[in-house]
Amino acid sequence: MSYSESVEQAISNIKQQTVLMQRSLNNRKLMDALKFTSTMLTELRNPRLLPKQYYELYIQIFDSLTILSAYLVENHSNGHHLADLYELVQYAGNVVPRLYLMITVGTSYLKIPESPREEILKDMIEMCRGVQNPIRGLFLRYYLSQRTKQLLLPEDDKDSIEFNSQFIITNFIEMNKLWVRLQHQGPLRERDQRTKERKELQILVGSQLVRLSQVVDDNLKLYKIEILPILLEQIVQCRDVVCQEYLYDVICQVFPDEFHLKTLDSLLDTSLQLSTEVSVTKIILTLITRLNGYIERVQQENENRDESNNIFQRFWKHLLKLNEERPDLSIQELSGIILGIMNLSLTWYPDNIENLNRLFSLVAQKCKDFGEEKTSESESFMVDLLTAQKLEVVKDFPIYYFNLITQCESFRTLLTLQSSSSQMEVLTKIIDSFLGRLMGTKQQTRNKDGDKSQLLITSKTQLERFLAVLEPMITHKDTKKENDEGNDTISREFTLSIYQEKLTKICHFLMLSLDKSTFKTIESEIELLLMIKNVFHKGGKNIKFTYPAIITNFWRMIRKCNIYKKRIPKKQIYYDNLIKQNFKYISRCINDMFNNCGKNSVDTIYKLNLQNAALADQLSLVDISYDFFSEAFSVFEESLSDSKTQFQALIYMAQTLQKTRSLYKENYYNSLIVRTTLHGSKLLKKQDQCRAVYICSHLWWATEISSVGEEEGETTDFFREGKRVLECLQRSLRAADSRMDNVESCELMVEILNVCLYYFVHGDEQTTHVGVSYINGLIELIKNNLKSLRLEEEQRLSEIDTTKIDSDNETNTSPYNKYNYVMGLDGTYIKLGNVNNSSSANIDFKVKDMKINDMIQIPIKHFDRTCEYILNQRDIDNRFKTVVI
Amino acid sequence: MLVLAVGDAHIPSRAIDMPSKFKKLLSIPDKISHVALLGNSTQSPEFLNFLDTVSSNITIVRGEFDKPTIITNRSEANGVSDNYEETNIPLVAVIKEGEFRIGCCNGYTVVPKSDPLSLLALARQLDVDIMLWGGTHNVEAYTLEEKFFVNPGSCTGAFSSDWPIINDTISNNTFEPSNAKEVVGKEGGKSQNDDITTSDGSSKAEDTGNTVADSNVNKQDTKDTTEDEASINEEDISISEVEISGSNVPSFCLLDIQGSTCTLYIYMFIDGEVKVDKVTYKKPIDE
Repeated sequence: MSYSESVEQAISNIKQQTVLMQRSLNNRKLMDALKFTSTMLTELRNPRLLPKQYYELYIQIFDSLTILSAYLVENHSNGHHLADLYELVQYAGNVVPRLYLMITVGTSYLKIPESPREEILKDMIEMCRGVQNPIRGLFLRYYLSQRTKQLLLPEDDKDSIEFNSQFIITNFIEMNKLWVRLQHQGPLRERDQRTKERKELQILVGSQLVRLSQVVDDNLKLYKIEILPILLEQIVQCRDVVCQEYLYDVICQVFPDEFHLKTLDSLLDTSLQLSTEVSVTKIILTLITRLNGYIERVQQENENRDESNNIFQRFWKHLLKLNEERPDLSIQELSGIILGIMNLSLTWYPDNIENLNRLFSLVAQKCKDFGEEKTSESESFMVDLLTAQKLEVVKDFPIYYFNLITQCESFRTLLTLQSSSSQMEVLTKIIDSFLGRLMGTKQQTRNKDGDKSQLLITSKTQLERFLAVLEPMITHKDTKKENDEGNDTISREFTLSIYQEKLTKICHFLMLSLDKSTFKTIESEIELLLMIKNVFHKGGKNIKFTYPAIITNFWRMIRKCNIYKKRIPKKQIYYDNLIKQNFKYISRCINDMFNNCGKNSVDTIYKLNLQNAALADQLSLVDISYDFFSEAFSVFEESLSDSKTQFQALIYMAQTLQKTRSLYKENYYNSLIVRTTLHGSKLLKKQDQCRAVYICSHLWWATEISSVGEEEGETTDFFREGKRVLECLQRSLRAADSRMDNVESCELMVEILNVCLYYFVHGDEQTTHVGVSYINGLIELIKNNLKSLRLEEEQRLSEIDTTKIDSDNETNTSPYNKYNYVMGLDGTYIKLGNVNNSSSANIDFKVKDMKINDMIQIPIKHFDRTCEYILNQRDIDNRFKTVVI
Repeated sequence: MLVLAVGDAHIPSRAIDMPSKFKKLLSIPDKISHVALLGNSTQSPEFLNFLDTVSSNITIVRGEFDKPTIITNRSEANGVSDNYEETNIPLVAVIKEGEFRIGCCNGYTVVPKSDPLSLLALARQLDVDIMLWGGTHNVEAYTLEEKFFVNPGSCTGAFSSDWPIINDTISNNTFEPSNAKEVVGKEGGKSQNDDITTSDGSSKAEDTGNTVADSNVNKQDTKDTTEDEASINEEDISISEVEISGSNVPSFCLLDIQGSTCTLYIYMFIDGEVKVDKVTYKKPIDE
């Protein structure tokens, strides 16, 4: 008898033989049936079959043999005694068919109550040794295992359980040997092919351990003493990577997690004895996952957890041993294990930061040992380790990071050993998590109904540690590349600003996170703010990003002090001093910015001075306010050079001064506004002079500030000097008149007219000095100027008309086009799109393709609108009827 | 057409971010066609990136703490990540939506600050129907001379160095924030103050009372005045955020423009909730 050439043939042969066997059984011709069965089983002798093909045939044959077995059991008392048959099938010619038949008959016999079970089982497993070919042997033993599944000894006493487990272990050991041996069969070049085949067959071996776990059930003693040592011994002794990785994993998976807890020592020790090619990381992680699963399960089922063992301690020892015995382990592998142990510690002992501290310190040591050999891979590993982003167990990252920062010394040590970009990545994640929590974006918190309690800084030391961890970001500098191009500078500045933005925000976070029960007094808050400021100072140039936030917080302190001052009158002097002191701190900040940040920050510094001046004025701190104003003037005079910057800066000065109330004493106000106006009249460009001076006219015309109780028409002591107002307007008009650009000169005059109307609304000539006659004169002047402007337009128009005839293809936009331009606050031309929704903000002092006719329309239309306004006002205010238009 | 008016974020120097509920409201793609960024909001690349997701069409004007230029990373345009552009930020800008011309400015160069007549003169100069301005950190909307003036306040409620806002000036004309929570663009929110649209702007500055300003919700801490003053300590005094920041609650505005009608939605962040109010403005018909 021989086997078929191909799998297809084999399958059809099996089918055919099965039919024949069934027919014989129906005719009660058992001998024939056995013959056909034997023929069918011959197919399993084919040595060329791949594992998958073999499995396919095996399945078919298994089904056929099930039919046979059923018949045998049924007819046991009908003349075919199974004991006889068991003897009979021993005579089959070939070993493979013989043993399959034997197991089929033997296991059928086991179903008969009075059969000698133990004997049969022993015999069958003994006989299986007859097949030593790995694939055939593995399947045969698998067949034995499948057939005996329900038929081992009844598990009612200790001995029979032991017998059963012994039976399975024996089978497992043999299978494992066959499986390992498969690796070494055939030529060396097919090694990889063998490995692949073995992986396909691993389930056969693994299934034995599943069977074993069913037999052992919850019998820990049996497992610990009788079973596990044998299994581990097998694993260690076979010295086979595939086997060790697979079986270690299966043991972890199939036996109960409590067992692992109780046998942790042997499991861990064994892991050290495995082949060096085995991935230690993988093995340890599997074990950790199981142990963490235990906690989860215990929590879900509300059981008491087993605390008898300090699991972390055990792993920690193991880690040290591993570190010692396996210097070959790469830092990635080691950090992989450490990440796993972190996971374990956080699952078992969520509040124990010391555990993490030990782990980080070990990694830090490793980092130092490995020195500069850093790969991008190991870097991203370190980032994972430091941020714990991949650990599901961390439910609330802000709290986790907070604890790390405040309690875990070596976290910072490890962080500082990383590359600058890794440090930034880690710190960014950490900061984002804090800010996300504060702002109520719950992304960082996995815990759904998360703990709403605020993270609070309860000691100076905590803040110190916070700042120490942030230090790499505070002092972060972007490394300047050689042959630096312009665009590069911009991009570097851009990247830098992203980090500094985070840092700046964390300043607010820290100030909002101070524990009120520890830092009861505002003085203690100020002290902490100073701490932050001092650390931020290390940032050098970076303070231009961070100091404005520090200053904001000082401002907040000042407002708080002021409130305390009002409510606690007996401590008035104390708070006055405190406020003064805060302004001094701010002044120091501004000076630091000035000294460190260079030209780019002067405008900001100028404006910060002005805002301080305003705040001091609101608190009636006259001298402080004056000092900040004069500082602003110094910056203006010495450092603001560009004419555009000067113009807007000066206007802002005027706006700020116009809202001050305390400076009237000692003539401060007067000297400041005169100086402002003087600066305005000295600006480089005539149009800037003109606008600055008409804006400065408002400095002599205070308007209501409702929050201090002022009301137009009610308040009688507004600072108002109409004479000065008029002087400003006159001076402004002179500047407008001397502007040589006709269009701009006219537009400026229309703007002055509008300012005149402002004062006209505010009061009559006696107070404002801006009377009807002056306005009418101005309107006359504007009309004349517009007339000459129109003259220019007519001329240009005819020019265009003639050119238009020549070139009809040109865009024939009418010269009487709806105007497209208006003029902005600072004399910029603003072009407007004609089409809806296309809102062009094409803004410049000169628009390139602008035609003179369009330009002329700017003052003309502006004047028209102003006249329309005057007309409308006549309905409300009779005085407007005297304005001639 | 929805135009988002938002400004005075002062991120990161004075605030961490907009309230996340605001961000959520605005994070609806392709809803908002235009963003008017009214100053002091360009220091944070993160915030600008967020606005980029709100609309690709952003008009920025300069506040006192904005640099004269802005650096943007236009990476999505051609896939190159290092494509940085530096553009000027103007003091004023004009945009056109529907039949409206809308002027934008932060107002730090308008003197007197936030003065209705000065703003009116500016609106006249720019020939706009709607004037958006900022700088005060206090949401306001009124009509004057048939023009519509809108200050969306500070979207973060950032610290303001202006004279502190006082709480007891809620005039008869102001309306209480309704409790209607509203999704961007959806119909809803009672218009409790339709008369705002019909009111003829008076020529007097002091008569422009139709403002939603000062609808301040943070009540002053009402300490028992009979308490013995000598025994008061700092701990006994609770201070509201408004008293410290001098700013009103975080707020922004949405202008829903349909032809010649502009419906203004005012969003305010009060006690952790978003409150919405609605005001309608119609462009006057030219004679």
